[in-house]
Formats: sequence, structure tokens, C-alpha cells
Amino acid sequence: MHLFRPHWLAALTALFLAAAPAFAVAPLVNATLEPRQISVGESAQLTITSSGTGMEPITLPDVPGLEFRVVGQSRRNEIIHGATLATTSIIVRITAETPGIFTIPGITPKSQPLVLRVNPDNGTGGPTPPGGSGFSGRPPVAAGGSTANGIRLTADGSAFVKLNLPKHEVYVGESIPVDIEVGMRAGFVTSLNGLPTLTGSEFTLNNLSRQPERVEKLIDGKPFTLLTWHSVLAPVKPGTFTLSVETPLTVRIRTRPPKDTLIDDLLGDPFMQNFFGTTVPKDITVSSPPTDLTVLALPTEGRPPNFSGAVGTFKIASELSSATAVTGDPLTLRMRVSGAGNFDRVDSPMLDHLDQWKTYPPKSSFKSGDAVGYKGEKTFEQPLIASRPGAQTLPGLTFGYFDPTTRRYETARSAPLNVTISPSLADSTLTAPQTPAAATAPAARSQNGLRPDHPAAQVFVHSLLPLYLQPRFLALPSLLALAFAAGWLGLRRRAAADSGPRRRERLSKAANQVLTQMELARRSGDSTLFFNSARSGLQQRLAARWQIEPDQVTLDELDARMGGVDESQEIGEDSEIAEIREIFALADEANYAGHEMTRIDFDRWTQFMRRQLAEERAA
Amino acid sequence: MTQRPALAAAIVAMTLLGCLARAAEPGQATRPEQTAAPGQAAAPERSTTPEHTTASEPAAYSAAGLYNLGNSYARAGKPGMAVLNYERASLLAPDDPDIETNLRFVRNSAHLPPESSNAIERYVKRIDPTLLAWAGVLGVLLAGVSLIAGRLSGRKTAGDHSGGRRTDTRRIGARRGLRRAALLVGVALMGVTVGQAVVLWPRLHAAVVVTDAAPVRVSPVPMGDLLFTLPEAETVKVSAEHEGFVLIRTRTGRTGWVSRSNVVPVLPRR
Repeated sequence: MHLFRPHWLAALTALFLAAAPAFAVAPLVNATLEPRQISVGESAQLTITSSGTGMEPITLPDVPGLEFRVVGQSRRNEIIHGATLATTSIIVRITAETPGIFTIPGITPKSQPLVLRVNPDNGTGGPTPPGGSGFSGRPPVAAGGSTANGIRLTADGSAFVKLNLPKHEVYVGESIPVDIEVGMRAGFVTSLNGLPTLTGSEFTLNNLSRQPERVEKLIDGKPFTLLTWHSVLAPVKPGTFTLSVETPLTVRIRTRPPKDTLIDDLLGDPFMQNFFGTTVPKDITVSSPPTDLTVLALPTEGRPPNFSGAVGTFKIASELSSATAVTGDPLTLRMRVSGAGNFDRVDSPMLDHLDQWKTYPPKSSFKSGDAVGYKGEKTFEQPLIASRPGAQTLPGLTFGYFDPTTRRYETARSAPLNVTISPSLADSTLTAPQTPAAATAPAARSQNGLRPDHPAAQVFVHSLLPLYLQPRFLALPSLLALAFAAGWLGLRRRAAADSGPRRRERLSKAANQVLTQMELARRSGDSTLFFNSARSGLQQRLAARWQIEPDQVTLDELDARMGGVDESQEIGEDSEIAEIREIFALADEANYAGHEMTRIDFDRWTQFMRRQLAEERAA
Repeated sequence: MTQRPALAAAIVAMTLLGCLARAAEPGQATRPEQTAAPGQAAAPERSTTPEHTTASEPAAYSAAGLYNLGNSYARAGKPGMAVLNYERASLLAPDDPDIETNLRFVRNSAHLPPESSNAIERYVKRIDPTLLAWAGVLGVLLAGVSLIAGRLSGRKTAGDHSGGRRTDTRRIGARRGLRRAALLVGVALMGVTVGQAVVLWPRLHAAVVVTDAAPVRVSPVPMGDLLFTLPEAETVKVSAEHEGFVLIRTRTGRTGWVSRSNVVPVLPRR
């Protein structure tokens, strides 16, 4: 009893109280791996749970071939038998990069190592390991099984993709309207990361609507957001192919075993799930179930010559912009091709060549009747210009296409078009309009402010071109100008020739003639002839030197030109100038009064002239 | 001193006229398109309907016939055709006041701005082209004869100032003056002829819009983008042609392509 004395009791109580924190700071760490067998690319969840008031900081292990990433942390307080127990959980996502059996060392010194088996990749959409509800890099789409609507959900039931094909046997080039549905579980799909795409290269997806139709729908009692895209599928080559559509999504993957997901389903709201740490975001690609499609080649038999590759059901109509026109005025011929099919291959040259018409290449425009351009109307507009007046008929237009419903080529035809072409005003510019005023007398007064007509003319011309611009007339002044130019040039050339050797020869001959005449006059004693011949010889010589006419060499001209010093130097001595002037004076005297000369005088002047003319010949 | 420049002027004038004549030939740049019977032009009062137009050999024209034709179109409410025929009539009779008056009247009625030209252009335009053609020939003769005479009668008269006998000097000076005067008159006559050709040049390459509204397009195709619309009776300058379209330039300087059926050239195509 003495053990329970008050002081011992107080000491034991203090000891327990002191030891209590020591028990509290030694938490119990437990690590679980779920699942323990995954495939390459998939993820497993490592949950590290620490019971206690605190948790030591953990260091993620480094295992080649595995990627570790902390994706969440939660803390929970439990009251057990009146005691509060705190539990802290850290969720680590382990993604397998290579196959193999990996040993994950203990996260803390007290935790045990874990073994993870990684199988080789089992392909997209392959089944997940039994009981696996862990992370998946690629969408586990078949685990959920098919519903009554042919929908195949992902493994966690968060999303699905569905391709609606109207038929499974089509022709090459044919346009098949398809609907692509992407169902997203409300609260589990956070974002749509791209548009649906085809998995194969044998088809093209054309005119995919940018904004999908959005409806809310219950599938298996669970709320889904259903996005529907409309598009047109076009096979590019014949054969049997498997077709699938995939869409990238970001979903929130449940981090708890399937047996616990009932609570998640009850929570529904992602906010609540996040709050309780039951999901993590994950980028996945969801694919639709593969669909077999048989693509047939277009037959070669019965193919129209103007077949442009149009496949579908079409009909055509044609019209003309106006039923009347004038020559030279452009008309527009329209052909409307309406129906359903691959309008991108609908083409037509329309009227390629037409007699008496000038045709231009047509232009086309398409007016779609639906969102994807499968139905609609394509209009071809071709400008035409008539070159001849009169009533004319444009032939009907044809359009060849392949009808997949009848499985044969068809040719649509339009009715011929009638048009009346009247002459252009440009062709009738010289034709007066038939008006009463025109038929009135020319002298009648105009009533419109115009001056009256003129009397009919009697003189006509054959061209409005001015006469001086008419080639025939222009030949006359041109020839005249050429003749004058030729004459002027000829004279100029002759003058140039006169100043050369021929000129000297001519002067020499003239000098000889002068001397001969002077000799004859001397013998006969004719002083008049003697001095006239001498003066003529001097005139010719000086005229040639001064570039003037011989008649212009007079006594005054002689005084004017030979009066200066420079001019006298040209001739020579001053005495010679005086003798030249004396000859001119004696010649005048002999002409008017006669002049008696002795033999000495004749010899003197003869010698003088011989000297002058000899100088000229020497020059 | 003036012989060489004068001869060069004569040759240049003839060459220029030749070039103008060649360029003004209506059938060279354009294909033959429109002809009419001479009788129709000669006697517009016969007033055949457009539907009865027949193609025939080159037409014969008269100023009175074209003028009366323009009056007929004006009365019929076709200002484009009226202006066209008035323009053509004025080429043959540029000094006819009736033509000018009616042309101005029709332009005003069509709400078109009047043509602007300076006094010299108006004066030169009024001279009869036929008369001026012969005047040009006379100018060539005068200039040529004076040049030849100058070359024959005297070489370079460097001694004009020297005097000589008074009678000879006076006679020589008179001849020289006469030759120079003839040369000047000849060059002047040729100059006036060439001047009128230059003044008339735009009109010879003009065209008149004969439809209610002629769409002017960016390119010479029927589907070309529309630039603007020309009113009827507007006169435009035609500078090129392509595939049934003509490149026009308005008086305000705007250019574009018009269907050839909408405009008719003032100078008919052969």
C-alpha cells in the first residue's frame, strides 16, 4: 500500500505525462502500393500513411524505370474510444516506363520495401489488370463494358467517344456524314484538350464543326455531358478498314480502390472529391470502339466523259441572266447543282466552246444546306458574250456524277435556253434611229433646242482622218521634202567639191583661157579685149579666194577687202594691189573711152597677169 | 545660217506627220469591227433601223450627214450616239457653229461637264483640216524652194556688209530677204499643220459611251471588280484594247477597262 503513497503517485503521473510526448512523436508509418502489377505507361498509387501528430519529411526513391510524383496529401483525425488519432497520407503516383519487377525501397527507415511488377505494353484500350483502378497513361476503355447504346466507357467510367456511321459500305470519294459524340462524366472530365481525330490515314475528316452540340444526358443513371461534332468522312482508297476516333481529355482519376468508389459516386461534385482528396488530374486519350468500313472503288463502266469525281445525288438547273442582249454585252449563264454529296468534287466546264459566242471560264460558289457542307447548292456562273445578233439557243448543260444509292453513273441535264441578241450600237453608229423628227425635212426647226438639220451634202469623204494624216496624201509632202533635201544636199556636196582639186583644175583652165585671150588681143592690138580678159581673170581668182561670185568682185569690193593690212598680205606687195586696181580702172576706161597701148604696155601687163595666174596655179 | 535648221524642221515635220498618220490609222491597233453603208451615212434622212444595218465596204462620210444623224439620235433620246456623231461631224467641219452648239447642248442635257480647252486650241481646231493639209504642202514647197534657191544663188554671203555696187547689193539683199520670208512662211504653215494634228490627236483616240451606264472594271474580264460607272455620252480616251475590252481614261484621269460594246470610237474602225 505504501507504493500508492501520494508522493509516489505524483511521481508516476509526472513520468507518464513526461513520456506521453515521446510516444506521440514516434508515428507509425505504413506504405501501401496499389496495384502491384501494371503495364508500361500505366501508373500505380503509393499511399504513405503516418499515424501520429507529425510526419517526417519523405524523400522519393529513385528507381530506374519508374517515375515518382507526389500528387496529393491528406490529413485525417479519428476518435477511437474517446482518443483522437491523427493520420496523414501522402499519395505518390508511380508511372512505369519500362517493364520488369521493381523493388521500391522504404520511404522511411521504418517502412518496408515494396515490389511492383510492370508488364509490357498491352496496347491502347486494352483491359486493365484485374482489380486495377489505378492510374493509366492511355485510356482503359473496355473495362466498363458496353451499354445498350453501344457506348464503351473508359475504365473509370469518366468518358467515352462514339462514332456514328450511317452505313458501312461506301465508295471512294463519297462523302459520308458522321457524328462524333464525346461523353464526359460530369465532374470527372476537367478539360477537352483537342478536337476528335481519326486514327487511320485511309479517311479524311472534313468540315468538322468547330463548336459541338452540347447536351446533358444520363447514361446508366450517371450524369454525362455529351458533345456532338458533325463532320463528313471521305475514304481515299478502296479496301476494308477499321475506323476509330480519339479525343484527348483531362480527367480526374480516382485514387481509391473500386470498392471505395461508391462514396465517390455519391460525392459527384469534383470540388467535394478534391476536398477529400479522392481524385487526381490525368491527361488521357479516349478512343471510340473500332468500326469496320468497306470502301468500294468507283466503277469504270458507264463513266460520263465530263465526270469530275462527284459522288452523291444531284440535280441541276440552268438560267441566263437575261433573255435579251446586244452583241458584245456579257451575259451570265448559271448552272445550279443541288443535292447531297461531295460538293468539293462537283465541277463543270459548262459551255467550253460555242459558235458565235465568246465563252469565259466559269466561277463557282457553294451555299451549304447543313453545317458540314454535305447538302447544299453549288452555282456555276459563266460569262458569255454573243458575237452575232439574232435569236439563238444555248444548248442544255449536263453534269455527270456517281449515285451510290443506284450504284451507277448518272447524267443530269438542263433545258436549252433561248436568247435574243440585238445588234450593238457600236455596229449601228451610222444608222439613224427611226423617229418622226428624223423623217422631217432637214430645214425643219428643232423643237428640242437643237439647231436644225443641214441640207444633204453632196461631197463625201471616205475617212474621218484629217487629210494630212492620211498616208496617201502624206506621200506628197514627204516626197517633196525628200526631193528638196536631196537637192540641197547635192548642191552642198557640189560646192564642197568645187573647193577641192577640181576647183583648182577649173581655175587653172580658166587662167589659161584668159592668157590665151590676152595673147590674141595683144597680137591684134585690141586693148579693150585685153583688159577685159585680164579683169575677168582677176575676178575669177579673187572670187574663188573670197568665196563670192565673180560678178561681185568690183573696184569698190576690191577697195573694201584689200584696204586692210591683213588683206594686203594675202595678195603680196602693195604695188601688186595698185596694179590690180589699175587693171580694173584701165578695163573700164577701155570699155567706155578706149585706150591706146604700146607694145611695152602689152608686155608689161601680160607679164603681170602671167605672174598672178601662175601664183594661183601654184596655190 | 538658217538653211540647215529649216531643212531639218521640214524633215522633222514630215516625219512627225507620218508618224501621227500611221498611229492614227484606225485599223492598226484594233480589229475591223464596224462599217456602214455609204448611203446610210450620206443620207441619214433615210433613217434605217439598227436592225437593218449591213456590213459593207468603207463608208463615206459628210459633215452634214453626220450632223443630221447626231440630231436624229438627240431627238430619239440617245445622247451617246448623238455626241458621237457630232464629234465625227466636227472632224470634217470643225468651224461649223451648229455642230458645236448642238454638241454642247446634248452634253449639257446629259449633265456632262463642258470640255475645257484654251484659246489656241480652239483656234487651231477651227481650221479646216483639208485646207490645212494643202497649206502644209505649200509650206514644204516654200521652205524647200527657198533653201534650194539660197544654195543656188549665193554661197555664204560673208560680205553682205561690204557694200559693192548699190544696185547689186540692194538686189542681192532683196533676194535674200525674200528667200528668208518664204522659208519662214513655209515653216509656219508646216507648224500650224502639225499643231492641229497634235491638238486633234486626243479626239482621234477618243470614244463615246453609248450605253446608259458603262461599268468600268479593274481588269478586262466580265467578272472583274467594278471601279466606277461611266454615264452615257461621256467622252473618254482609249489607250489599249484586250479581248473585247478597252482601257479608257476619263477626263478626270480615272482609268479602267470597259466592254467594247459600251463605247464607240470617234474615229471609226475600218
